[in-house]
Amino acid sequence: MEENYPLAKWLNGEMTEAELKEFQAQPDYAIYEKIKKHSSSLEAPAFDEATILTAILKSPKKKVKTISLTQHWLFRAAAVLVISLGLFFTYNNFSAAKEYAENGNQKNFFLPDNSEVVLNSGSEIQYKKWNWDSNRTLDLEGEAYFKVAKGKKFEVNTALGKVTVLGTQFNVKQRDNRFDVTCYEGRVKVNYNQTEIVITKGMSVSFEDGKMLQLPEITTHNPEWLSHELAFYQEDLKAIVSEIERHFNVTLELKTADNNQLFTGIIPAKDINISLEILATTYHLKPTKVDRNKYILESLDAL
Amino acid sequence: MSTEEISGICKEAVFSTFFKSHAKALRNYLFYKFGNEDQAEDITQDAFIKLWQNCADVPVEKAKSYVYTIANNASLNVIAHQKVVLNYAKNSGKSELTNENPEFILEEDQFKTKLNNAIQNLNETQRVAFLMHRIDGKKYAEIAAELEISVKAVEKRIHLALVELRKEFDHFK
Repeated sequence: MEENYPLAKWLNGEMTEAELKEFQAQPDYAIYEKIKKHSSSLEAPAFDEATILTAILKSPKKKVKTISLTQHWLFRAAAVLVISLGLFFTYNNFSAAKEYAENGNQKNFFLPDNSEVVLNSGSEIQYKKWNWDSNRTLDLEGEAYFKVAKGKKFEVNTALGKVTVLGTQFNVKQRDNRFDVTCYEGRVKVNYNQTEIVITKGMSVSFEDGKMLQLPEITTHNPEWLSHELAFYQEDLKAIVSEIERHFNVTLELKTADNNQLFTGIIPAKDINISLEILATTYHLKPTKVDRNKYILESLDAL
Repeated sequence: MSTEEISGICKEAVFSTFFKSHAKALRNYLFYKFGNEDQAEDITQDAFIKLWQNCADVPVEKAKSYVYTIANNASLNVIAHQKVVLNYAKNSGKSELTNENPEFILEEDQFKTKLNNAIQNLNETQRVAFLMHRIDGKKYAEIAAELEISVKAVEKRIHLALVELRKEFDHFK
């Protein structure tokens, strides 16, 4: 009986004839009937539909649309920003980074893995920043000193040969026809033409015009040029002159026929006058300053 | 494809029709629930304002449950923040043609007052269902949809409401 909720059925007029008869026979029926009758005459308070509707329709619907448009605009601006940042970083990472030291200057910089590079005057290095840690390869033109951080294979390519190392400190010098590699720590593998040679701490190797020169063991811990000295091992006057030109950013005019004598030694290079004097004494030359950045070296023997 | 629907409730004429057929019922429902006329009206207005502002996102067929949901959520907050004092306005105006004797009229008036009190004393769910049926003339199915309960549950609430109301008249002849 309770599960059927007969009162609800009755109130909704769903009772069958028989059910209704039975219900009407009950003494409570009169009361229920009265409840039904009077509750139907109940009223909720008045509701001013028109005023409220007007107020609602006046509420700023358009504003929502404006906001969404602004959002679209902002999203676009943000997208453009993100894309250009992406391109910028991609370009930065994928394009080759270039480091250059002008004549008369040295340049000290760090590669992405914190390997230290000191570029000697008039030298240039190019490398790719992207994925540097697993592809440590760079192109060198000129002379540079490397302090390589531990990690994967580190490669220095020059026009003349290739140097491959693990973590170590070494100097690479590539001139017109000469290629010098000096190792200050660790092991360095040098490829020149078909030759492959491994040098260890204190060793140097030099190739000139395709011939290998065996250099004496070095005792310094750093290349001389780092402390403003020019070191030469069996090099001719022309090579020395161009080294001095590079170092001081000057022009030297050589007026001598005989320059086949090879020079081995260290020329201090803090002051150009001292350097030139040493060179002049050695080769019997007379240096004359013709301009702020130009000197003429005349052979005394020719006079 | 949805542009047709979007423009639907956003059109003033469509919105007005929708408002006229549902606003009062919603206000009443809220009023039965916690008896505060002003708040019932405010919540109703807010719910419809939200519908109007978001008309582009609400399909016509969802509009009704949309306003009821917003109103329900809002009324939850109201109830949580203040104990509503039930204040029944009684407008049992339209009395039937009275060529009865004065004693009968007096009796009827007494009955009405008592009934009104009894309705006030019903519990919330029973009162809401009962009044939605008696005042708004809604079908049980409609009440069930708006309260998100089953029709059976509505019938139970109505039935129990009648039983409760009947108790008030034990000594009424």
